[in-house]
Amino acid sequence: MNEFLQHIVNMLILGGTYALLGIGLTLIFGIMRVVNFAHGELYTFGAYFVYLVSTVIGVNFFLSLIIAVAFGCILGAAIEFFLLRPMRGADIDTTMLVMIGAMIVMQNTEQFVWGGVAKSVLTPFGESTLALGPVSVSWLRVFVFFSALALIAGSYLLINRTKIGKAMRATFQDRDTASLMGVNIQVIYMATFAIGSSLAAAAGALLGPVYVISPHMGDIASLKAFAIVILGGLGSIGGATIGGFILAFAEEVGAGYISSGYRDAMGFLIIILVLMFKPTGLFARSERIG
Amino acid sequence: MRRLLPLLAVLAFASIPLWLKDPYLLNACVTTGIFIIAAMSLNLLLGYTGQLSLGHVAFFGIGAYVSALTSLGFDIELFGGIRVVHEPWPVWIGFVLAVIIAGICGYLVGKLSFRVRGAYFVIVTISFAEVVRLVALNWVELTQGPLALTSIPPFTLGLPGLGYLDLYGKAANFYLVLAIGVVCYVIISRLTRSRVGRAMVALKENESLAVSVGIDVTRYLILAAVTSAAIAGAAGSLYAHYLRIIDPDVFMFLYTVTMVIMVITGGKGTLAGPIVGGLIFGFIPVVARSFASPESQWILYGALMILIVFVLPQGIVPAIERWFGVVDENEGRAKLEPAK
Amino acid sequence: MKSYTRLVLPVVFAAGFAAQASAQTIKIGVNEPLTGAFAASGTYVVNGAKIAADEINAKGGVLGKKLELVIEDNKSNPTEAAAVAEKLISGDKVPVMMGAWGSSLTLAVMPKLMEYKVPMVVETSSSGKITTTGNPYIFRISPPSSIEEAAFKPMISKLGIKKVDFLVINNDWGRGTADDFTKLFKAEGVQVRSVEMMDQSSQDMNAQLSKIRASDADTLIVTAAVEQLTLVLKQANALGLKKQIVTTGGSQNPDQLIDQAGTAANNSMHLTTFLPWLPDETPNPEATKFFLGEWKKRGFNFAGSTESFRGYDGIRTIAAAIEKAGKAEPAAITEALWQTEIKGLNGPIKFEKWGPSGKESGQSRPNVYLIKIVDGKVTHPKS
Repeated sequence: MNEFLQHIVNMLILGGTYALLGIGLTLIFGIMRVVNFAHGELYTFGAYFVYLVSTVIGVNFFLSLIIAVAFGCILGAAIEFFLLRPMRGADIDTTMLVMIGAMIVMQNTEQFVWGGVAKSVLTPFGESTLALGPVSVSWLRVFVFFSALALIAGSYLLINRTKIGKAMRATFQDRDTASLMGVNIQVIYMATFAIGSSLAAAAGALLGPVYVISPHMGDIASLKAFAIVILGGLGSIGGATIGGFILAFAEEVGAGYISSGYRDAMGFLIIILVLMFKPTGLFARSERIG
Repeated sequence: MRRLLPLLAVLAFASIPLWLKDPYLLNACVTTGIFIIAAMSLNLLLGYTGQLSLGHVAFFGIGAYVSALTSLGFDIELFGGIRVVHEPWPVWIGFVLAVIIAGICGYLVGKLSFRVRGAYFVIVTISFAEVVRLVALNWVELTQGPLALTSIPPFTLGLPGLGYLDLYGKAANFYLVLAIGVVCYVIISRLTRSRVGRAMVALKENESLAVSVGIDVTRYLILAAVTSAAIAGAAGSLYAHYLRIIDPDVFMFLYTVTMVIMVITGGKGTLAGPIVGGLIFGFIPVVARSFASPESQWILYGALMILIVFVLPQGIVPAIERWFGVVDENEGRAKLEPAK
Repeated sequence: MKSYTRLVLPVVFAAGFAAQASAQTIKIGVNEPLTGAFAASGTYVVNGAKIAADEINAKGGVLGKKLELVIEDNKSNPTEAAAVAEKLISGDKVPVMMGAWGSSLTLAVMPKLMEYKVPMVVETSSSGKITTTGNPYIFRISPPSSIEEAAFKPMISKLGIKKVDFLVINNDWGRGTADDFTKLFKAEGVQVRSVEMMDQSSQDMNAQLSKIRASDADTLIVTAAVEQLTLVLKQANALGLKKQIVTTGGSQNPDQLIDQAGTAANNSMHLTTFLPWLPDETPNPEATKFFLGEWKKRGFNFAGSTESFRGYDGIRTIAAAIEKAGKAEPAAITEALWQTEIKGLNGPIKFEKWGPSGKESGQSRPNVYLIKIVDGKVTHPKS
């Protein structure tokens, strides 16, 4: 029983971070139809930036989180402007190849700058833990969990309550009509990519200190983010959030009660099952299928 | 002229071992050749039906494992205590089985994943490859998992009664890869020039229109998927018997990426595209190794990839064809032909 | 000139090596992962190798010639590792190599060694298969898990181990350790509760650790590289896991653990093959001090020394073998490696014959130490 309670808490904490990873990708996926392979590298960028600002330069930890997200936003806008804008109208796979190229360049630049040895960020939380009866969790992860929830809620409000969010939703539903109605598609695309990138950077900035930071941390993050997005359905923030928790649940139960060797296979098995029965993902509204 | 070109290319390739004596470069030719075959199979799916499979390495890996296990033998216990013992068989049977089993997997994956299109299809195929990798990693009894299958025998050539020849050498393996590559090229070229191929191109250009004129979309897609997976399996088998060790790293995502790069930069939907793209991206690392530091080799690789896509978004081969004013009947406007 | 040698190469292949011997330098091929997943470790090993080459060259080299390391990146990828071996042997004409860090990388190189009959000193890989498949060109200085297991045997009762759990990385190294140690524990009457795996790239081990926390075992054996070990210690601490933790494999970099896991690293124990914290307790204090001094002088972080010393020892082993062979030719070096005996940083390096008879591989038996982290310091409890 105690073990089960701990698994549930682990799942909630892990699910929150997975959800955060997923929403940035799902926005870009849904609105721009870009399979963003650089997502994991933006995540890594966020993590290294926090390391740079807080540990190397010595700025306050919480402030450096905000700085890292801001720079993630700028980097995202730059990628959109220099790499994606010229590719507008190209096939999904051609754009994807550009993003894979960007991924290779970014990952090896990180390796070049920081070397392969993992970095670790010191936080004000140290190694202190919160123990509630049989359940135990580090304070840092509690902080990360609530920050993730706040960011998810913030993104939800941004999409559903603001003018730019409305324009983004209109673009998602029908780009041409939205354009005719006076929506500046170029601005929407840049905003979408910048927001998606800052969410990825935020995920990296928050999780980097929880884990260790290395040039390859983005690979696994990308893979998980893809799984979450497909579970939730393209372009759905709510879906990605729930998808994140489902993935975390599958992994915890898989590792705790089935076999830890197959832990990472659980998410993919669920994807295959979901797509067999509901090919658009659990929560997608519309996507043409054959 | 167009008919002569492939023949000339084959002759040019066949002459390589005669003048290229550096084993390192010949080795690069063999591995590049294997990946070109895999890229050709991906091109059938991506270039002719427009479906981007990012799990293509799964078929490559399945081919490698099937072929290796057939020729090495195994002894496993399945659920319920059923013991399966397999004695080693000759390598060529492994090759045939690799093609067949990869093809069957292609059928199953096609059945499942052609229910979705676009980005969803991409993700389903990635998921499939990942699941297969994890099975190869964890089913230690069969695959040896991360302990790797070692001492895989090389290909043998010969006829009963005439004696056998183990293909250890690079030149021999080069000709083997070239021969299988030519066969695959002919199969793909026949397929795409046939009515089936035209139907595939039609549904790539406009799926709803193709459906409305009576093309059975899923059937053609699955046919393409099976052929494509079978050829990838053949490439995997070549890889296993050439490298002579395989482990779950054979499912590396980077290998799929390599194939995609070869197809798109070369020109998807053209027969020569994967070959041209493959030659360029197979040899960039070889050339870059001589002058660049390890990280900058990768940065160069990625940057060159972006550059080619930017300058020639259709790929190199279509650009050259436009330059010379040659238009292949297959790459022109799709001609919709109702299936009879 | 270059194209000329290429043309002549097939005809006078053997003569090619003879011509090499009269060249100005003696080349040693180094096949290590410098990019990709294992980049950090590969780079450490290469840095250690460079120190050894510079040290030897400063003393006049070998056979009156300078050593030249030809370093190539195998990109943490088995296909590349095989290609690199091909390039080093046939392109650069190295008579001997060192490599290739990971077991799958080394295994991919091994058929090439058979093909060209060139010896390779294996500095890191731990898979049992490397020395048991019958490759007479393999000379390993790193311990496979069976050597670690044998060294751990007397420590079981001292640590009061009755029941154990395993948490190991899901590769040849982790699985090999779990298998060998399980055998040992069974023979010693220790109960093995569960064997948990973690994927090479996973960062969150809470699920596995929660399960382990619930078991009644008193000791947890962990096998992983330093990044994952850091995470395991931090996450175990956060879960309030109160068991003895013993790590194996010798890639732990305890300093990096102390640095990055902080107080979570306290009281963890580690089986290592090198004691850079206590140079006076190493088998060759003088060499250890020299190596650590050089390492510091070149501005590398101290934590890397537990990985890089293998590169240093590997090159020194090769140099000694070339000296003994009297000529830089593959066959002579292979022969000489069997007679080579040097004082390595982790004990005497001397090759025993392992594997099927007639085509045995060489395996050296390094020392294994159990160290403990107490209050952020590495200690070596005296037996």
